[in-house]
Amino acid sequence: MRAETLKGHLDGLLLASLEAGPRHGYAIMEALRAGSGGQVDLPTGTIYPALRRLERAGLVAGAWNEAGGRRRRVYSLTPAGRHALAAERGTWRNFSAAVTALLEPAPRPVTS
Amino acid sequence: MTADLAIEGYVDQVAAALPGPARERGDMMAELRAGLLDALDARRRDGLPDDAAVAAATAEFGEPRVIAATFRSELAARLARRCALTLAGTGPVVGLLWTAAAMASHVGMPHALPWEAGAPGGSTAVVRILLVALLVTVGGALVTIVATGRLAARWAGRPRVAPAAAAVSGYGAVIVDVAIFTLLASQLASAPGGLAPLPVAGAALASVARLLLAWHAAQRCRAALA
Repeated sequence: MRAETLKGHLDGLLLASLEAGPRHGYAIMEALRAGSGGQVDLPTGTIYPALRRLERAGLVAGAWNEAGGRRRRVYSLTPAGRHALAAERGTWRNFSAAVTALLEPAPRPVTS
Repeated sequence: MTADLAIEGYVDQVAAALPGPARERGDMMAELRAGLLDALDARRRDGLPDDAAVAAATAEFGEPRVIAATFRSELAARLARRCALTLAGTGPVVGLLWTAAAMASHVGMPHALPWEAGAPGGSTAVVRILLVALLVTVGGALVTIVATGRLAARWAGRPRVAPAAAAVSGYGAVIVDVAIFTLLASQLASAPGGLAPLPVAGAALASVARLLLAWHAAQRCRAALA
């Protein structure tokens, strides 16, 4: 899936990837790739500014952390982030249900 | 080592054209570098030789020009917010100092600012310019603060609004200061005796400092728009 296709959903995906616990940027990208069977394959560099924006929005909290001799910025969901994720999920379910209903071929009327 | 240099080269290419507060920019680039090193490690674990690992890691991160553009809007928003907050913080101080200086000076009406009554000819136009510039300054700062706030940060849209509004606010503040100095000059020329030297000097100093600061902020925000 290309960046344009994901446009508008990246924030929700980033929030969802943090639901299970804090992660640093590269681990978030790996989680998105693994979780989508490789379908979500954005340029990794684009998620860092997106995370900073989500931090400015108060939806995630970032902090530097040292592990294995490398400093990484680790992000976790804030309570506001959890709310936003729940809202995003609801919106997505309605949207995908509607699009599926419209795109899938209508079942043939049963004649008997 | 060569691989590290190649990663550094990638980060430098991204950082080269970025605006913004130096510390935040440095922090973001440090995070990008750490991510690239993680990607490099992953490729090495896959058994790739260094050259191929670097090429794969940087390809995975994306074209430096494209990545710089995404950092650019975030840094511009942060720069704009910082400029607007600085203007919002210093403006009232300068305003209060001039008001105090005017009241201590007993120029014109006893309880009025020196230019409100008995002001030399031509100053009415300057006062109008000052008031309009003041409105523009305050309005621009407010727009910036709202456009870079928590709620607005949830939507990535319109990244140019905040730096543009902050630049307008900064130039507005410069015009306010210049207008005040114009009024002061005409006061000095017509009735220098009425001015209280110390309060006026204090306000003038603060105003000069703010003028330079506002000019610098406006130029940076305008540059961030390019």
